[in-house]
Amino acid sequence: MKLNIDGLLVYFPYDYIYPEQYSYMLELKRTLDAKGHGVLEMPSGTGKTISLLSLIVAYQKAYPLEVTKLVYCSRTVPEIEKVVEELRKLMDYYTKQTKAKNDFLALALSSRKNLCIHPEVSSLRFGKEVDGKCHSLTASYIRAQHHSNPSQPVCQFFEEFDAVGRQVPIAPGIYNLDDLKDFGRRKGWCPYFLARYAILHANIVVYSYHYLLDPKIADLVSKELAKKSVVVFDEAHNIDNVCIDSMSVNITRRTLDRCQTNVETLQNTISRIKETDAAKLREEYRRLVEGLKEANVARETDMYLSNPVLPDEILQEAVPGSIRTAEHFVGFMKRFLEYLKARLRIHHVVQESAPQFLKDIYEKVCIDRKPLRFCAERLRSLLRTLEIADIADFSAVTLISHFATLVSTYSKGFTIIIEPFEDRTPTIANPVLHFSCMDPSIAIKPVFGRFQSVIITSGTLSPLDIYPRILDFRPVTMASFTMTLARTCLCPLIVGRGNDQVAMTSKFETREDFAVIRNYGNLLLEMSAIVPDGIVAFFTSYIYMENIVASWYEQGILENIQRNKLIFIETQDAAETSMALEKYQEACENGRGAILLSVARGKVSEGIDFVHHYGRAVIMFGVPYVYTQSRILKARLEYLRDQFQIRENDFLTFDAMRHAAQCVGRAIRGKTDYGLMIFADKRYARADKRGKLPRWIQEHLTDGSLNLTIDETVQLGKHFLRQMAQPFRREDQLGLSLLTLEQLQSEDMLKKIAQIAQQA
Amino acid sequence: MDDQGCPRCKTTKYRNPSLKLMVNVCGHTLCESCVEMLFVRGSGNCVQCNTPLRKSNFRVQLFEDPAIDKEVEIRKKVLKIYNKRELDFYTLKEYNDYLEQVEDIVFNLTNNLDVERTKQMMEQYQRDNKDIIQKNKAKLTREQEELEELLLQEQQGSEQRRLETLQEEQRQLQAKRKNKQALLDELEISKLPAAVLLAQHKDRASQLETQIEKQKQNVKPANIFSTGIMMGQTVSLVSVSRVEEVLYVYQPLCFDTYGPPVPELDQLGRLGYLNHVRTASPQDQAGGYTSGLACHRAVQDAFSGLFPS
Repeated sequence: MKLNIDGLLVYFPYDYIYPEQYSYMLELKRTLDAKGHGVLEMPSGTGKTISLLSLIVAYQKAYPLEVTKLVYCSRTVPEIEKVVEELRKLMDYYTKQTKAKNDFLALALSSRKNLCIHPEVSSLRFGKEVDGKCHSLTASYIRAQHHSNPSQPVCQFFEEFDAVGRQVPIAPGIYNLDDLKDFGRRKGWCPYFLARYAILHANIVVYSYHYLLDPKIADLVSKELAKKSVVVFDEAHNIDNVCIDSMSVNITRRTLDRCQTNVETLQNTISRIKETDAAKLREEYRRLVEGLKEANVARETDMYLSNPVLPDEILQEAVPGSIRTAEHFVGFMKRFLEYLKARLRIHHVVQESAPQFLKDIYEKVCIDRKPLRFCAERLRSLLRTLEIADIADFSAVTLISHFATLVSTYSKGFTIIIEPFEDRTPTIANPVLHFSCMDPSIAIKPVFGRFQSVIITSGTLSPLDIYPRILDFRPVTMASFTMTLARTCLCPLIVGRGNDQVAMTSKFETREDFAVIRNYGNLLLEMSAIVPDGIVAFFTSYIYMENIVASWYEQGILENIQRNKLIFIETQDAAETSMALEKYQEACENGRGAILLSVARGKVSEGIDFVHHYGRAVIMFGVPYVYTQSRILKARLEYLRDQFQIRENDFLTFDAMRHAAQCVGRAIRGKTDYGLMIFADKRYARADKRGKLPRWIQEHLTDGSLNLTIDETVQLGKHFLRQMAQPFRREDQLGLSLLTLEQLQSEDMLKKIAQIAQQA
Repeated sequence: MDDQGCPRCKTTKYRNPSLKLMVNVCGHTLCESCVEMLFVRGSGNCVQCNTPLRKSNFRVQLFEDPAIDKEVEIRKKVLKIYNKRELDFYTLKEYNDYLEQVEDIVFNLTNNLDVERTKQMMEQYQRDNKDIIQKNKAKLTREQEELEELLLQEQQGSEQRRLETLQEEQRQLQAKRKNKQALLDELEISKLPAAVLLAQHKDRASQLETQIEKQKQNVKPANIFSTGIMMGQTVSLVSVSRVEEVLYVYQPLCFDTYGPPVPELDQLGRLGYLNHVRTASPQDQAGGYTSGLACHRAVQDAFSGLFPS
């Protein structure tokens, strides 16, 4: 249908539209008009993706000079594929309606592992191996050697692409990963490099977060994206953690040992080259004297090593004299390495800030701050000069050099924690140096700075105002949308007590309590009797789940549950888990139903949907707080308090509630879907917890559904399920939660729609 | 680390966890007891390279690789002499060349290349640059200064925060105590029934609680973004309205001196006013002074107010 959004003609590929989609598009349009950033929360299963795509594409078509590109970031490869499919639907609709030929180029980009078509390379199993092998076939000096020595193997796909691929632009159309591979096979071009080249002029790019947020990758892939792009982060409720992870470095004893070997290899290579080809080193030396500007002109394929957020001053300045020659630099690295080794040889935990670390390193091994800052860039230059083909081996020394650069560049926002052993095994020495980033805004700052509109959206972003604070940006729109429903298809219940009136909570003091565990067991038992098909239960951690299941077994509860349904358990092993999931779905298909026991923050809680009969009830046992004793977390909380005035408790609760909401949100994947959401902890009834749930869940939490006992829950649940089991047709929804074009244009509907969005 | 051991007595860290390894200027290791035994007289030769050593120069080995210990030792010595700062050079390139030279010296000394010549070079340098070395001894490098400053800031910040939280807690505690005391006093003197008083007290206590909670929340509300723009403020998209006004026109200042018109500066000489004024010396003129200026001011002074108003 054709919509008029605030004066913009939008083609929407479906015959019906949800009211909240319309409202969402309105907000989005305003954000784009203002050329600002936005934070938008809309429940999952209400068609966020298609709303986003159809509006932004329409905007691009209407104002081709204002918005040149859409960069759509998602989390996983299946999600990326889903987005491309939606986009294909939209584009088909466009061609059908306008009868004009499609001139849009949209493509997905993923790692080499997913895109490689070279028969040898693509058969490798791990991403790192593929990258390393690919590099050993496509690096510029390898190809130069190939000219003089044709027996040197190169990748024919890359050669072909390099020879002709750049002149002929890829034809307009929608390309997912398989399409790209097919296209590559047909033409004999490398799909990966083709895609990387094509994103520069594509209208829509779909890829993973890391291509934009991880400074090491972003520097290569996304550096040249136009300023007038719209960037969308979908499923962005975890974006702060992604940012932090991309900037943090963990160094163990093993890393240092591997680094040691790397340094030795470097030294040997240098002495060998010095004998055979001293001119090369001299050439590098000359370049470094001149400054890095020249060195910066790296060719596309030499991309493997790059710098985490190169500060500008480095690019403009020459490398300090103390690490200019190759030998001195290797000596420098050796000293740095030995220093780190000495630091790891401790018996108690040390926490210090970057300036303290720098001071100490100067006193111990006379290393100044400036050469440290140039370390990553210097190493990159050296590796390129030495023409070391197999780059995968050098990951350790690269990591160390990144650490050196980061620690000397940022005096704030990072902390160094050295732990001699893991908390769980205090007798086994396993020293780790955590260089942990505490400020997610460091990694995302370039994105906000560069692009005119950045949209952060997800099903669970509550409370909205915390995201601009921790990511340090200024949104022009912040809005939360509710789900308009023809029938209340979600039923959140907070169970606080067992039938014996003992409080149910996963609080640390009482979590091992016999009565609490028994009550949890009884809850699951009762639910297994009344809920048809699948039940998904989430625990707060793997250990807690193991304990509880063990004691359920002893108490005979497990046996009783198994009379009703089969039980599957998520484990830390990915293969086992996907097996369990598959069998769980099979069991649900059979009609008897099953129970999946899993863990909040685990694989199941993020990204796996339990549509319809796969999840008729979700039970959240306890509040999924993070492990608060971890020093990294403590440091981060302290930083948040000092820098952003966010109190520890607020942040912990916020973090716990977003995960809880993520978990229970797995069951509702659309308006025809329905499910029970059971929060089994009395602490959920408190205002501070409840207030942090997304608005679309909060709305259905009445006073009557707080602090229930188990049998009250069973009563309410039975009632709800019986109601929902009635036939539900499209006609019931029409006009209420599903609109045709005429209905949409009616006066009072527009008024209603205006109320859907709640500005934060 | 466990496999490290003394090359002479073959004791390892694994067998004797309290083993202390020592290293001397030549970069070879010995354990503490061997040092005690071999260097009873205070000096002797290295077991491995025969370099004459002194017992007092033995240091505890900090790093796994004794060569690093040796290098750091040498480096510290060299840096004491080569202590020029970045500011002592005109260009960055010169400074970088200097740094490289220092690095070369350290490299040579640690790897025993050209030791004699390098030592001579160092001595030469020391003689040539005596005063600079002396002068820079106490000075920290710019980077060091920056670091010190950062550390100081950090310390002060954490100290201040600690104090603030402490004060806050104290204040809350006091308020609670006061409340309790008030209840006791009231129970003692008031004629109301105790149940009412207790209810009142409970009310007050809960009020206090909410107050504290509220205070906590707005300790220092972050209402400003790092860009300096207030939070929660929506950006208005209306363009700034243009104010249409008449342009400002300059009008020269005009005032009445109540006297005869003063001749212009450049006409003073021609009219003979300068005849009896001292001519400006070249020193005076350097600063832009001319005799006309003083004369003009004096004439202005003399003429003004001559006519009665």
